[in-house]
Amino acid sequence: MAELGRAALVVSLGLSVYALVAGAVAAVQNRRRLAGSARNALFTAFASTFIAAAVLAIALVRHDFSFTYVASHTNRTLPTAYALSAFWGGQEGSLLLWLLVLTGYGALAVAVNRRLLRDLVAWVVPVLGGIATFFAFVLVAVASPFDTQTAPVDGAGLTPSLQNPYMVAHPPMLYLGYVGLSIPFAFAAGAMLSGRTDERWIVATRRWTLVAWTFLGFGQLLGAHWAYVEVGWGGYYAWDPVENAALMPWLAATAFLHSVMIQERKGMLKVWNMVLVALAFELSVFGTFLTRSGVVNSIHSFAKSPIGSWFLAFVVISSLFSVALILWRLPLLKARTKLESALSREAAFLYNNLLLVALALTILWGVMFPILTELFKGESRTIGRPYYDFFLRSFGLPLLLLMGIGPLIAWRKASARQLVRTLVWPTGTALLVGALLLYSGAGSSTPGLVAYTFSAFVLATIVVEVVRGTRATGSLSKLVSRNRRRYGGYIVHAAIVLLAIGIAGSSAYSSSREQRLVPGQTMHLAGYALTYQRIVHPYNPNAYETRAVLDVTGRWHGTIMSGDNQYRNPPEPSREVGIKTDWLRGEDLYVIADDVNVKTGVVYVKVLVKPLVNLIWIAGLVFLLGSAVALWPDAREQRRLVTRLAPARA
Amino acid sequence: MSTFALALGVALAAAAVVLVALPFLREPIADDDRLDAPTPEQSLHLSLVEERDRALAALKELEFDHRTGKVGDEDYRGVVGPLRRQAAAALRAIDRTPSYRDGMSFQAPEITPEPGPAPDEGTPPSPAIVPEPSPPPDEATPPVQPQIPEPGPQE
Repeated sequence: MAELGRAALVVSLGLSVYALVAGAVAAVQNRRRLAGSARNALFTAFASTFIAAAVLAIALVRHDFSFTYVASHTNRTLPTAYALSAFWGGQEGSLLLWLLVLTGYGALAVAVNRRLLRDLVAWVVPVLGGIATFFAFVLVAVASPFDTQTAPVDGAGLTPSLQNPYMVAHPPMLYLGYVGLSIPFAFAAGAMLSGRTDERWIVATRRWTLVAWTFLGFGQLLGAHWAYVEVGWGGYYAWDPVENAALMPWLAATAFLHSVMIQERKGMLKVWNMVLVALAFELSVFGTFLTRSGVVNSIHSFAKSPIGSWFLAFVVISSLFSVALILWRLPLLKARTKLESALSREAAFLYNNLLLVALALTILWGVMFPILTELFKGESRTIGRPYYDFFLRSFGLPLLLLMGIGPLIAWRKASARQLVRTLVWPTGTALLVGALLLYSGAGSSTPGLVAYTFSAFVLATIVVEVVRGTRATGSLSKLVSRNRRRYGGYIVHAAIVLLAIGIAGSSAYSSSREQRLVPGQTMHLAGYALTYQRIVHPYNPNAYETRAVLDVTGRWHGTIMSGDNQYRNPPEPSREVGIKTDWLRGEDLYVIADDVNVKTGVVYVKVLVKPLVNLIWIAGLVFLLGSAVALWPDAREQRRLVTRLAPARA
Repeated sequence: MSTFALALGVALAAAAVVLVALPFLREPIADDDRLDAPTPEQSLHLSLVEERDRALAALKELEFDHRTGKVGDEDYRGVVGPLRRQAAAALRAIDRTPSYRDGMSFQAPEITPEPGPAPDEGTPPSPAIVPEPSPPPDEATPPVQPQIPEPGPQE
């Protein structure tokens, strides 16, 4: 069946090239049937890629080790879910997933808009075709998942750290996010190529951007939880280059989602929006380059390969293409109105944008620094956590504050007196919370105290906004249904607040202790007493498990186990931590048992108490809820779009 | 390569060729093979509609901000007049460009008409509570209150 997969990919490549070339010719020469043909090529490219993906999925489930890829990433003892997740556990499979999602998204976006935005879609097809051509080419010529060999008796197995339920969902989520950013980019490029830079491309891609942004954000939280429970160092975000690679496009997309509102309302920031869309797309491809090239040392370096140079070339070419397009169309992108006041909602959005982009670029500099020092000085110098933490505080805390102030400022121009009146309740609440926290000892960490106080301010703002809005409209459901984007956005803001509280609590107020223990010995931390009892070896068909058993008393009574797994195939170790969650406090008792000596029974134990860490995971669910509210189909908006685009029917 | 896989590959390629050629197979000779691009008049109309939607959305937002206390009475009075004039000007400009109705052939899907005038977020758009301080300077009579159809883009 490998031949079928290979043939399907070759067909996908041919169709993508056709969509690029024929689509461009059709758009330039204004040829309707050729444009339709190019569009069909994009649809068929998805069908063909789907066949290729199905072939690989079937081979993975059937443990068909005649596929080199299957033999390299699975073995017979691997459960079916993990065997399927090996689809994105390796280089070639994840590139195939990229192409599948890209052609699927592209086909759907083009199909949905082909009638209302026919002239624009004619230019979108070649852009999507160009992106698909690159990925199909890499899959056909550089990194094929359909290389075959004489089937070995068993495969090499999946990297142990990937054998985790989160790894079944985390990578596809990220890919749905990364690749989803191609759609607004293609429409923006299409708008500039066609010279029709009106708002239609924004209206057409608003939901696509939101979907991609949601997947990217939620995917990162899933990854953070995976790191927390599986990697076992006690944290959830290590500023790893590849983690940063997902964060950067998300920040750029967040800035775009805010600034696009200014263009819709005021016709301003057109150039800036084009820059942000291009930046988000380029950063998403750059992220894939980082993941795949192995140019940086990362926990994700399981996927090193020589395709990095191809990706780098693609990033450079597509960046130059974007810059050239924007420069070419600058006259069309001029704003017709100006910012009326530095004290307005528009201005607040602008400040928010500057902070988000500054944070994204600061992170980019941190990621690029080791590469640049190696390039120019011959030795790689890595930027550590303090650099990122400093800039997260410097940009993140003002962003949090703006999240509270922004919704309370009027559009166009706000008077200082009115703003002060509006701010009374949220500010009063925040000051009260800050004072109570100070009184209860939270002043041990200034950034933590500031984060908590600002969080209280934002939450109070949201409550005030909802209460006043409900009073004005008469009912909460009416309020939300009349403006889902705004109130979905507020729910997302609440999620960010929970995230901020969780991060501040678990980093600024966590406590830890390390101790060498022999059986019967007890260690104490933050009201917990942990008594080391014995070593056990639970049964696992694919690994030799070793666990230290600790009895816990004090704030919680029970048993917790921690240790490691020695996987047989591949023969790699994996740290297995013990976590006890106290949902009432949102707190975790986190136990790492290292160097378990089976002969002497001695074990080195590190215990961490992480207050409020679970708010981070709850934030993920609230984030999804907010996105769902903002994404919920709005019949009135659809009517408005149809009326706008087909005025003859209005 | 097995014969079965070869046959499947050939079938796949053939199906792809047919699908790609479909627009030409359906319509071997086209009376009009031009893309349905907007004419300059239609583009102008579109920009005017966007302008109208922006002005109406701004009015609607102003009403809501006023009702929720973000905009005081004095600020409201200062802003509402220019915004109304802007909306009225956009509506008049749209009326002055009837040519967009000719030759427009966007295939819009059938839609159910709006059941009635869309209620505002804060409903009574009764700016009469706070009357305009003076008639617009460029008109002899106060501007006709524009019919506010569907609101423009919302946040």
